[in-house]
Amino acid sequence: MHSTSNAKTAKRDVVKLAKERGVRFVRLNFADILGVNKSVTIPVGELERAMAGKITFDGGSIDGFVRGEEADMILVPDPGSFAVYPWTEGGEIEARLICDIATPDGQPFEGCPRSTLKRVLEDARDVGLTLATSVEMEFYLFTQNPDGTPTTESHDSGSYFDLSPSDRGEDARSAIVAALEKMGIGVETAHHEHGAGQHEVDLVATHALKMADHMITFRTLAKHVASQRNLHATFMPKPLEGQAGSGLHIYFALRDETRNVVGEDTAREGLSDIGLYLVGGLLEHAPAATAICNPTVNSYKRLVPNWDAPIYTVWSHRSANALVRVPFGHGDDARVEMRSPDASCNPYLALAVLIESAMHGIRTRKLPGDPWNGTSYDLNERVRAERGIRVLPKSLRQALDELDKDHIVRGALGDHIYHAFREAKLAEYERYRRAVHPWERDAYLSLF
Amino acid sequence: MTVEELVVFAEGLSRIAAAGGGPKALAAHLAGQIDAAVLVEDAEWHHLALAGSGSRSIPPSTRELLHATRRNQEGLIAINPPGGPAGSALKVRAGDAQVGWLAVFPNGKPIAGFEPALRLTASAIAVELARELGGTKGRRRSFWERLISRSYDDVAEARDDAASRGITLASGYVGVAVEAEGLDESAAAVKNNEIRRLCLDALRTGHGDIVVLERGGGFVFLCPAPLEVDAANARTAATMIPKAIAKQHLGASVVGGVGRHVDVLHTYRTVEEARESLIIARRMYGGARIIPYEELGMYPLLLRGASKEELATFGERILEPLRAYDEKHQTELLRTLQLYFDVGQNVKTAAEKLSVHRHTVFYRLRQINEIAGVEMDNPHDQLTLRTAMALHALNFER
Repeated sequence: MHSTSNAKTAKRDVVKLAKERGVRFVRLNFADILGVNKSVTIPVGELERAMAGKITFDGGSIDGFVRGEEADMILVPDPGSFAVYPWTEGGEIEARLICDIATPDGQPFEGCPRSTLKRVLEDARDVGLTLATSVEMEFYLFTQNPDGTPTTESHDSGSYFDLSPSDRGEDARSAIVAALEKMGIGVETAHHEHGAGQHEVDLVATHALKMADHMITFRTLAKHVASQRNLHATFMPKPLEGQAGSGLHIYFALRDETRNVVGEDTAREGLSDIGLYLVGGLLEHAPAATAICNPTVNSYKRLVPNWDAPIYTVWSHRSANALVRVPFGHGDDARVEMRSPDASCNPYLALAVLIESAMHGIRTRKLPGDPWNGTSYDLNERVRAERGIRVLPKSLRQALDELDKDHIVRGALGDHIYHAFREAKLAEYERYRRAVHPWERDAYLSLF
Repeated sequence: MTVEELVVFAEGLSRIAAAGGGPKALAAHLAGQIDAAVLVEDAEWHHLALAGSGSRSIPPSTRELLHATRRNQEGLIAINPPGGPAGSALKVRAGDAQVGWLAVFPNGKPIAGFEPALRLTASAIAVELARELGGTKGRRRSFWERLISRSYDDVAEARDDAASRGITLASGYVGVAVEAEGLDESAAAVKNNEIRRLCLDALRTGHGDIVVLERGGGFVFLCPAPLEVDAANARTAATMIPKAIAKQHLGASVVGGVGRHVDVLHTYRTVEEARESLIIARRMYGGARIIPYEELGMYPLLLRGASKEELATFGERILEPLRAYDEKHQTELLRTLQLYFDVGQNVKTAAEKLSVHRHTVFYRLRQINEIAGVEMDNPHDQLTLRTAMALHALNFER
């Protein structure tokens, strides 16, 4: 009763807030199964109806929402996600609300990625710990052609952590950070990355659902802010062969009522038993989770032995190319970093499968073996076999095969999303396989 | 042998049997007493033990030497292998059942009156073998006792015997020794059982059944570890046991050690190392911890009284990661470490001697910690590094 009352108050507050902020349009955002941000725009006068869950849309036209009998879907806005788009201030002000998808009878739609993450988080409550998630998002800022189409060129020569001279890329990054903060998304740090034109923004840890909302928002926001500066922000995992790929490093921390329970400075490897099990779970299910965390054919151009990208199920205290990294001796700030995902993923699904993997590790007390603190690229087959280290999938096709084999990861997705995702990605892989790529022409056209 | 000598000999047999020595140890006792090679086989001529053979070539089995007509003979049976040493064989009987064969091959002229000693030994072995026959559990337990008393010469032999007792052997094992501390005698048995259960629960991380042996008032758990990752997980799980037991409020803590990852034939070694680690954890680290052998640095060598070769190997193992890093990255970590120790761990002086900023020395010390897997502030680790450096200095000219 109390929560219903709170929910009503929150909904009323959203309508009131929209009026106060002079909002003209509201975008009802939701992610499809492939992680593409979709929206239904309503004039602010419809907001009350929207908050009452009376806005429907044709689910049949959206990827992954394909079952004819479930074509009419209801958008259920999350009042806590209300935020004004900063780049619309001064004009027709737009705000956004992030929505869950419900079936016409009001039940969570099993093809809704956000509801899927909520279900996984609800299930994770049995562990009795509070999960906090933070991310590092890497992206490139490229120049645009006069017609607005993106190039793959940047005009900065900065490098990792450079305090580089002000240029359009640096300005755009600062503007992105400012816009994020205006939307209530906390930024920890922002800096130049390895690649020319590559940047990284690290978000402040928060609840996993909120973090997935932030990631979806981040991608949209970065593109808007960059395009206002005639730049193109891309989260494509590997836009340039000779440059570093863009990753999405995801951090997990667990707390009980009083303290961080991941780190334990006096324990072996500086990790508590919970921390070790968390790492063990992530490593065990990483090959299957790869399909979700690295869902494009381009993702696998990043997961190669270079540029500190992970290729093996290795954990480490200090190796930058390990799959899971746990910096030593951080006590109450200890956290576990998953380094393989890229930002082409659906953040809701990526967090769902990773959290389910971690929780499964904790529930089954899965230990991760010893850390490998050298360069993981040096691991030969014999050492990998002895240490139980597996190779991450090298293609989207392999990743889908791994996904098929892992009932824990599949269980996190649910049958609907698993089948819809698999079907869409097999089709994507098949299109890629049939395409004749420029590399092939370069290599063979003259030779044969 | 005089009566007095026989009595002393019989007391020796009892002591060995009481300590769980098994046929191998009993055979060794006889071999020492009568200066002979002693071969023990079961009733089907499966090899059980050989002792006192030295460099002599002893027939692998008495089966072919005991002609069918003589196998039913009671008492000593003379055996004369072609081209080999002459000897005598005796049936090992437990009640009416024959459970094995005991054969002796004197190294020189047979000691007068050795037969009573032979018969006493056969009786003691009969008790051991009968115990083995006394049920599946007993048969299984006796296999593990035999394995760690080095009764098997090769893996195939151990595997065959294990299979005959319904045991599937893993390719490798890790020993974990655990003893309770501060147990109130009145409740010791109950609490020890609870500790045993908690240890088994904690160590159950991988493949197969964990074997529990009782040793010195505590337990040795043999964890199957086909791969290094299984051994690593067993080590980690073992180090978690004290915390798990503390949570149960048993009014007792535990101390223990973890041996290294070994193949089947070297199971005895991981058991010894686990026990040594337990002793070191208790005496040098104040107890309430379970420490892996690999993390004890110099102490096991000091406890055991290591040979020069073992010391050299130890020194190289500790310094090798630093040397490899220096070589690969053209750094001076080893030199920095040496100088740091030479100047009494004074960073400022070390920096002056190296002509670098003192922050550089701090940075290098942090690198040394990470690469060598040590903590320079920890006195135990300091001893390890200092000893390794000293061994290096003593064995190699600068």
